[in-house]
Amino acid sequence: MSAAAPAKRNYDLGFARWVYQNVEGGDRLSLCMQCGMCSGSCPIGAKMDQGPRKLFMMIRAGMKDAVLTSDTLWNCTQCYNCVVRCPRQIKVTNILQGLARVAVAEGYVTERPTARFAKAFWRSLRMFGRTDERIVTALFYFSSGLKAGIDLGLKNLPIAQRMIKAGRMHLGLPHRAKGAAELRAILDKAAAIEKGEGAKP
Amino acid sequence: MDKKQGVYLCGGCGIAAASPLDGLEKVATKEFKVPHCRKHDFLCGEEGLKLIRDDIAAGTINQAVIAACSPRVNQDRFRFEGAQVIRANLREQVAWTQEQGAEDTAMAAADYLRMAITEAKKSAPPRAYEEGPYSERVMVVGGGIAGLTAAREAARAGYDVLLVEAGTALGGRMRDLSKRMPHKPPYAAPQENDIGTLIKAVEGEKRIAIRLGHRVTRTAGGPGKFTVELAANGTTVEEKVGAIVLATGWRPYDPNKLGHLGYGASPDVVTSLDLEAMLKSGAVKRRSNGAPAKTVAFIQCAGSRDPAHLPYCSSVCCGVSIRQALQLRAADPESSVYVLYDELRTPGTAEEFYRAAQRAGVVFVKCKVKSVGADLTVTIDDALLREEIPMAGLDLVVLATGMVPNSTDLFATGEGEVMPVPDIDPLSPIPVAGYAGEKPATAAKAAPVEVKGAPLLNLQYRQGPHLPILADGFADSHFICFPYETRRTGIYTCGPLRRPMDGAESAEDATGAALKAIQAIRNVVEGRALHPRSGDLSFPRINLNNCTKCRRCTVECPFGAIDETAEGFPIPNSTRCRRCGTCMGACPVRVISFENYSVDMLSSMIKAVEIPDEDEEKPRVLILACQNDAYPALDMAGINRAKMNTFVRVIPVRCLGSVSVLCISDALSSGYDGVMMMGCKAGDDYQCHFVRGSSIAQERMAKVGETLKSMALEKERVATFEIAIADSHKLPKMIDDFMAGIEAVGPNPFKGM
Repeated sequence: MSAAAPAKRNYDLGFARWVYQNVEGGDRLSLCMQCGMCSGSCPIGAKMDQGPRKLFMMIRAGMKDAVLTSDTLWNCTQCYNCVVRCPRQIKVTNILQGLARVAVAEGYVTERPTARFAKAFWRSLRMFGRTDERIVTALFYFSSGLKAGIDLGLKNLPIAQRMIKAGRMHLGLPHRAKGAAELRAILDKAAAIEKGEGAKP
Repeated sequence: MDKKQGVYLCGGCGIAAASPLDGLEKVATKEFKVPHCRKHDFLCGEEGLKLIRDDIAAGTINQAVIAACSPRVNQDRFRFEGAQVIRANLREQVAWTQEQGAEDTAMAAADYLRMAITEAKKSAPPRAYEEGPYSERVMVVGGGIAGLTAAREAARAGYDVLLVEAGTALGGRMRDLSKRMPHKPPYAAPQENDIGTLIKAVEGEKRIAIRLGHRVTRTAGGPGKFTVELAANGTTVEEKVGAIVLATGWRPYDPNKLGHLGYGASPDVVTSLDLEAMLKSGAVKRRSNGAPAKTVAFIQCAGSRDPAHLPYCSSVCCGVSIRQALQLRAADPESSVYVLYDELRTPGTAEEFYRAAQRAGVVFVKCKVKSVGADLTVTIDDALLREEIPMAGLDLVVLATGMVPNSTDLFATGEGEVMPVPDIDPLSPIPVAGYAGEKPATAAKAAPVEVKGAPLLNLQYRQGPHLPILADGFADSHFICFPYETRRTGIYTCGPLRRPMDGAESAEDATGAALKAIQAIRNVVEGRALHPRSGDLSFPRINLNNCTKCRRCTVECPFGAIDETAEGFPIPNSTRCRRCGTCMGACPVRVISFENYSVDMLSSMIKAVEIPDEDEEKPRVLILACQNDAYPALDMAGINRAKMNTFVRVIPVRCLGSVSVLCISDALSSGYDGVMMMGCKAGDDYQCHFVRGSSIAQERMAKVGETLKSMALEKERVATFEIAIADSHKLPKMIDDFMAGIEAVGPNPFKGM
């Protein structure tokens, strides 16, 4: 599961402390006792470079590059199994998400399907105050180019048809949440705050 | 005073059912002609006790043989003013372990009664020795937290204290600490160093006389009458003290030996104590360029738990590093502090402290340190990532060096803090003399170890000036059962001289040692023995007229209690003696005996047992069982109603060390088919209550083969067993197996001769 150690790695002895102090949930990360309950509970642990336990140890070892380029941050499905089970009450999911944001902000990650999907998700959310499956999928499919968008759309068309039949997707205008405008204002404000005060490692 | 014996037979607890009392009465009155024999069904009840008390009051008896339960129980009930009590164990070892009403059971009961009556005949009530006046003052050596606490506690208990400190100020190592580990709830933050309060308390105590700058240059005498010589700047004074508490503490392991951890390669590789000095001064700076140390790594187990250095865990370094790391983090929130450990040991409340450090963002890394470069790059083998990590950019590397006990005085000899391991041969200084006069078996075992440093007390004992130590240099004591006891009576160790421990533990330890010292003084004043035969008044008397000056007693005494005159005669030091009888077992001419315990008594008891003829097919095996563990284990088997072989006869002995080989040859020549010796575990991890007794016995018994050979007997007939108190369930099988071996070699040809 673990990738072979790269020939050269960058180490930053201040990284652990920075994560403890700046990443959401990081304040409890210092209490991690490496029991491995998170990795053991993770339903998609096998699809990650390394489980959360090992990722946290890498943080302690100062392996900043390896941590921020790890796909663990992106493959987390946020099922919260680890958070519920952690004997030290560490918010594993929040930390992974927080690290993903750092990875994007610092330019460690530019091209990442999960990142594009997240962007599509947020655009839909910003527009209507809630997600609309068609808009999210369309935005996500075409985010990797026109040709790829059409190909993916055609490929997944049967699924869409079955969903419509089952009443899981509708054909009318997207529903709009009450107070979508207020939500947009909140999100804008949050983005502004983050831009102004967001700390950098 | 004429001995007026009386025999009291108890029929309770199933004894009468197992073996009719009438038969036993006949043994007493007909066979031994004891004029006074009484039976009762409940002897330890008020009515039964009154029976005995009335006889004593009427002057009918002054020695009561009580054939009832084990001598280990009901001691308070069967204790009478004006009469010596001898017990025969008919309950645990007969009624409860053997078939009811069987012929063999009755024979066993009769034999136990015979042995008890014989023992009574050979025994007199011991008188306390009186050699006063005794000093009731406690001398405490060492003025650190342990010594100060011991002095204060002894003074508060009402005893005068002489506190001797070699340095120029009180406080010891604690004085150099910026803060101390938490010792009060919630155990989560470094606490103020409060040694100053303790120093003031001791200085203000009227009962404590403080001698700064003094060393003990000579110690003679024994508990209650130690004469110590104190020296300072060439002048000496002599003092009398009753007991001694040694609290000479520790020194750090020599970091110059830690080159593999980078010590010496860079000025920024420092020890815990170096960092402590920086923390105390308030500025933690790099030594190389004076820049503040922002990124610091602690390397744990620097020297400790390393067979090439200190083989043991120094126990405090984890706590110390956690404390220092917390102090660094508190002083500078922007600092990054790493603790590199293989195993972090935080027992008890220290776990809270550990968690507090985690919460404070100290980074703990489980790893093995591979190398420390001159540029302070620490390369670690991370145990949880399973890869090698170069930690570059550190400002300071702190080696958590271990504790070395000050079991010798290195400063007195100008050796400074050099590290002799081991300081003294742990098995010194007792080469055990073989019984038949051969060369000691242990002589070839180890080359003499060069002793570095002066002896702490310079004991004027036959067995050398040093306090015996264990393999790792700590003072010899039994870690679990009797921690403060040393092998020199009346001298108690505490603090890191005994085992690695922190300040709070040392203070607690010192309290214990102070109380032991007081206990020693009280017992000595009353003429009683100390641990483990506390309260025993008997004392070895040596008949010097027949002494051959072989010196075995002076060599083998585990406590150095016997000195020698210039002519080579033994001089017992009454107050040093623990009454184990090892000298008695050592003496080839049987001139050492106690009033109520002697080779003659044991031999007579052995011979008192009736040995059936060979054709009766009733073998007899003698069990000599140590009173401390083996005998209670045998009793326990009885309490559990285990079926025990009916052909054994058990005699309790004070210690296997007190068993003379003459007892074994007496047993075999009087027709016993075999002898089982049951004692405590010998060796480095001994359980012997007299430290060396069981190992001396084993060495003596290793040579018993020659005695057997000269009698043309098989060597299988005598065997030594190590029994712990919890081994009662193993005993029936052990005895049966031995018995099977005896049956294989056949009956003893000496039967009936």
